[in-house]
Amino acid sequence: MLREAVADNLATIGGLLPRPRKRASRSSWVGWALLAAVALLLLGTLKPTSAGRGKPQPEEMVGAAIPALPDHDQTETGTPPGLDAPRAIDPALFRLAVRRVVVDPGHGGSDPGAMMRGMREKEITLDIARRVAAVLRADAFEVLMTREGDETLTLQERVQAANSAGGDVFLSIHVNSIPEPLRRGVETYVLGPTSDPHVERLAGAENSGSGYSLSDFRRLLEGVYVDVRHDESRRFAQAMQGRMFAALRRVNPDLEDRSVKQAPFVVLVGTEMPAVLTEVSCISNEEDARLLRQNDYRQKIAEALAAGVRTYAAARGLGATVANRGPGGM
Amino acid sequence: MTVTKDKNSVLHLGIDLGTSRSSVSASNGERHVVDSYIGWPVDMVARKLVKKPVMFGQEALENRPMLDLHRPLERGLIKEGSEKDELAVRELIRHMISLTKPHDGQKVLAVVGVPAEALRVSRQHLRNSVKGVADSLMIVSEPFAVAYGMNALLHTMIIDIGAGTTDFCVMKGRYPTDEDQRTLTNAGDSVDDQLATMIRTRVPDAQFSIHMVRGWKEKWSFIGEPSGVVEVTVPVGGKPTNIDITTEMRRACESLLPPITETTLDLISRVEPEYQETVRHNIILAGGGSQIPRLAQALEAALKDVGGGRVTPVDDYVFVGSNGSLAIALDAPESDWEKLPG
Repeated sequence: MLREAVADNLATIGGLLPRPRKRASRSSWVGWALLAAVALLLLGTLKPTSAGRGKPQPEEMVGAAIPALPDHDQTETGTPPGLDAPRAIDPALFRLAVRRVVVDPGHGGSDPGAMMRGMREKEITLDIARRVAAVLRADAFEVLMTREGDETLTLQERVQAANSAGGDVFLSIHVNSIPEPLRRGVETYVLGPTSDPHVERLAGAENSGSGYSLSDFRRLLEGVYVDVRHDESRRFAQAMQGRMFAALRRVNPDLEDRSVKQAPFVVLVGTEMPAVLTEVSCISNEEDARLLRQNDYRQKIAEALAAGVRTYAAARGLGATVANRGPGGM
Repeated sequence: MTVTKDKNSVLHLGIDLGTSRSSVSASNGERHVVDSYIGWPVDMVARKLVKKPVMFGQEALENRPMLDLHRPLERGLIKEGSEKDELAVRELIRHMISLTKPHDGQKVLAVVGVPAEALRVSRQHLRNSVKGVADSLMIVSEPFAVAYGMNALLHTMIIDIGAGTTDFCVMKGRYPTDEDQRTLTNAGDSVDDQLATMIRTRVPDAQFSIHMVRGWKEKWSFIGEPSGVVEVTVPVGGKPTNIDITTEMRRACESLLPPITETTLDLISRVEPEYQETVRHNIILAGGGSQIPRLAQALEAALKDVGGGRVTPVDDYVFVGSNGSLAIALDAPESDWEKLPG
């Protein structure tokens, strides 16, 4: 047993052997120079609009693609003459379709997630995700699942899978567990900082397998606060939350609309497409847990989630589904 | 002669690097425990006042207004990317080694037990953080250290309820793999958070800090029927006021029961059927949380549905981890130590 402990340590050390510091190659200098130039351009463009208003807003970041004029051409207020203040570009202008949906069943493998009353979150999320995938595929969406079975996946692996698959939207499915057993309901998260202790705890727990801690994310988020996907993610989240609550309240009248919230979940930080994390029920609540055991209820959750994807795709005018898209779609 | 010479030239250490408290047991008989806080004076004025470049444990906590205070293993994980937290881990271990008073030139061989989740998620990072603090160093998961120290290596389950995490480990006569272990964030800190939230909800104007809440929990935690009233004195609108927190204390402590019970049953169900009963009767509760009165009985009650079991809290919860790590340090052959850099 000790030998295994030693071997374990040696393996760790093996992966950490200090590598000799390389002198930066010419190409890396060029890379850094390019990055610095881009950063300067962005700063130059953001300065006029963000001055005096705290953190830059997402629309400013979109507008940052407009090159800054030299300083001497700028007016006192910092706005270059002859140019309007940068505005956000509405993604609807690009007529982007929602074709590929990445569905992420939370937890899995050695990470069971919340466990109560003989149920495990990883099994519920996988079952619901499979149902969501079936409904969406029937609607001609292309669906990719981050896991198909009871597999252990790090959060980074989920993020990488979603990004490399080129997903148009990312939907992570989870089941909530709240210390107050009487609370129940559905909630949907988009990326953002939070000061809500419950959400912080939840994000801390969900991110625990990532190797990062919540404080790192907050610092990261505050440093790179602008997320160009934020508005789209929020619209996506509102569609998901609205559909979920409306559909499930019919069979679960006491259900609480726990609303769309912000939280720094790893899967939302790393993904490059509009991304949401849904808590589809509260396993800590006796009645929700009873319903979650029922196939009919899980199917309703799945259909509500699929309806949320459809609503988002259609209502934003981002092009409908592949099956429904008209001649103007991509 | 050889033995005497080895004794003098080598100091074996077992360190339990915990979220809340860290302890060290040394082969020269020294044993120490410190709160896992490290603080650096925030500025020149603070430095002049505290008269130290760095402070540890309770002393750091007491002087926290003047310090940049760190608790490096919060939530059972080392914070990656935070240089101060890496430095804090290193400084804390250095401090603990210094408490054992190694002689000049004495070789220090240390085994450091860390929360299982920290080892699973950040093992390389952790290893890097402790580089150079000893001549030779091994990192193991805390539940394994506990099991080793208690010679409970076969058909045993360790439940280590710490501050940041509750670690579960089923010992199957081999070095535990990820499959044999589980980690929950339902632990001491989550009890503190809940207790604070519940008190704040009932008495919104009550003024207290999370450190005060932690102190109350350590003093008056319980599960089941209360044996008396838990009353604390806090300023409410600036006026010292007595508040009865008996109900809140019970609810906060009992919030640990469902997740711990579920995880225990889940892990037992994965043990080969013929050994499940043995494991059920060999459950060891370690960590600060093991001291919550009637927790062991509540877990035993939950095991009745699956045939019953026996849950035993460790006697010396402060040093059981570091003693286990010391046992590993003493048992590891010299040839293995030679392979492990500090």
